[in-house]
Amino acid sequence: MSERAIGVMSAEQRSGTALLRIEGLRKAFGQKTVLAGLSLEVSSGEVVSLLGANGSGKSTALRCVVGLERPDGGTITVDGVTARRAEPMPTVAMVFQKIHLVPRRSVLDNVCAGALGRLSLSRSWSVLAFPREVQAEAMACLDRVGLADRARERAGRLSGGQQQRVAVARALCQRARVLLADEPVSALDPAASEQVMNLLRSLADDDGLAVAAVLHQPDLARRYSDRILGLAGGRLAFDSSASEVTDETVANLYRPAVEALEAAERRPAAEMRELV
Amino acid sequence: MTSLTKMAGPALTIPPRFRPAGVAAGIAITIVLVLLHWYAAVQTNTSPQDLLEGWRGLWNFLFGVDRTYPNGKTVHQDGAFPLDLRWAETIRPGLEYCLLTIWIGLLGTTLSIPVALFFAVISSRTTNRFVPLWLVGRGVMSVLRAVPETVYALMFIAAVGFGAFPGVIALAIHNVAVMGKLWSESMDEVDQGPVEALRVAGASPTQSAVHAVLPAVMPSLLGLLLYRFDTNVRSSVILGTVGAGGIGFFIKTEVDSFHFDTMMTYVCMVVVLIIVIDLFSAWLRRKVGTV
Repeated sequence: MSERAIGVMSAEQRSGTALLRIEGLRKAFGQKTVLAGLSLEVSSGEVVSLLGANGSGKSTALRCVVGLERPDGGTITVDGVTARRAEPMPTVAMVFQKIHLVPRRSVLDNVCAGALGRLSLSRSWSVLAFPREVQAEAMACLDRVGLADRARERAGRLSGGQQQRVAVARALCQRARVLLADEPVSALDPAASEQVMNLLRSLADDDGLAVAAVLHQPDLARRYSDRILGLAGGRLAFDSSASEVTDETVANLYRPAVEALEAAERRPAAEMRELV
Repeated sequence: MTSLTKMAGPALTIPPRFRPAGVAAGIAITIVLVLLHWYAAVQTNTSPQDLLEGWRGLWNFLFGVDRTYPNGKTVHQDGAFPLDLRWAETIRPGLEYCLLTIWIGLLGTTLSIPVALFFAVISSRTTNRFVPLWLVGRGVMSVLRAVPETVYALMFIAAVGFGAFPGVIALAIHNVAVMGKLWSESMDEVDQGPVEALRVAGASPTQSAVHAVLPAVMPSLLGLLLYRFDTNVRSSVILGTVGAGGIGFFIKTEVDSFHFDTMMTYVCMVVVLIIVIDLFSAWLRRKVGTV
């Protein structure tokens, strides 16, 4: 049996059907194909890590799911509902490498912004118009990430790790069931990274969220996720349970990229010599 | 120790700093610019000679002249200096006119805020992705901006008569277009990250304008507002000279009645006024945290 089949089976055994299902996702930017028929599934209560070299399509795949990019083909289904192209879904939230909070707004207002999708303009034309129940829900979300005591501080004053947890609280306030994380810890120090990864793990374990995270740290991926998906050339290279992924598997995943990088660095010098 | 040059293998040529095509273009552009300026000087009768020969007229304007008429009478025509420093007749009213100029600039700036904000929001790609509306916003602002404040002032003076109010309206209309453009440009440059994050959360374009774009650009909007207040006070001096109230109006009437000394006093007051407003606006912008 192939590695891939094992991975899918173990996920389905745990919680039945997949919450997020991507089938045959294709996307090209001009001539450059980034996603060449990517298929993957993430179940409720599961943390899945996506590994792959720069340009392998990990981030683009996540951005297609949340409607920030328009896929050229393929289907995205969340809890049985098919996503419309380039339109965000209320059930899917995302956290970013650069966190993307509004630094000049308070922590609480940033979390409340997660609820904008279900608020009419008359209840969201200003932070002063946010209904009490939304603010109460936002406080509960902040409490869930352990930052309720910082609610009235400016988001920009918090440390990077705390800001990323506020971003997670914003995703919770959106009432998302699928949480996508695009390199959530790449800008954080090791201690903050562990804290954020612990939080993602606990959201899957205790709240039943389906979590898919793009990571550049194979070590974190192995320790915090159930499954690891390797992406190369816009396709799935492997799909294995975290414990089965070896250093060699990971090294193989990055090898084509390393070779391409070396080739690119050799080229200018060679061209200069031709001029002589 | 081996030197870097020995290790590098075949010698690399240093790429030339200037290419022949670039040099030729530079010479051509220089020739065209010189010709343009020469032609402009001919068309405007600009000649240093005339300025040198006219120094006597300038001297008479500055320091006065005794004019002897054919009937033998000699009349002294006062020059700009010494200044007219009478308190009750000149300086006190002058201060009041200066204040009026500030009020015109202030109201002209403030009244334009809501409309300028509306145009800024529909004219920035960050806040409005609906291209037809975006084009309308840009177009209206371009047309409004193409008409100088002075021309608006002349139109409103024709409509409602001399006074400060036509000046306020003229400034407000012009400022909607200028400040709207400056504001929309600073919205264009805002970090798109939070906008994307709110889009994922399901926010509408209006909601992300309010909750992601405006908080991020607020300091620069405020800085631009103060800069425009500064500029509008200057403009309101000029609007005065065409009849729209303030110190400019009295500079014009004094020069028309050959009271050059009073006029020069007012000009000196304008210099002080502009410097004070400039310093104040710069100080406030530093306080706000933008330049």
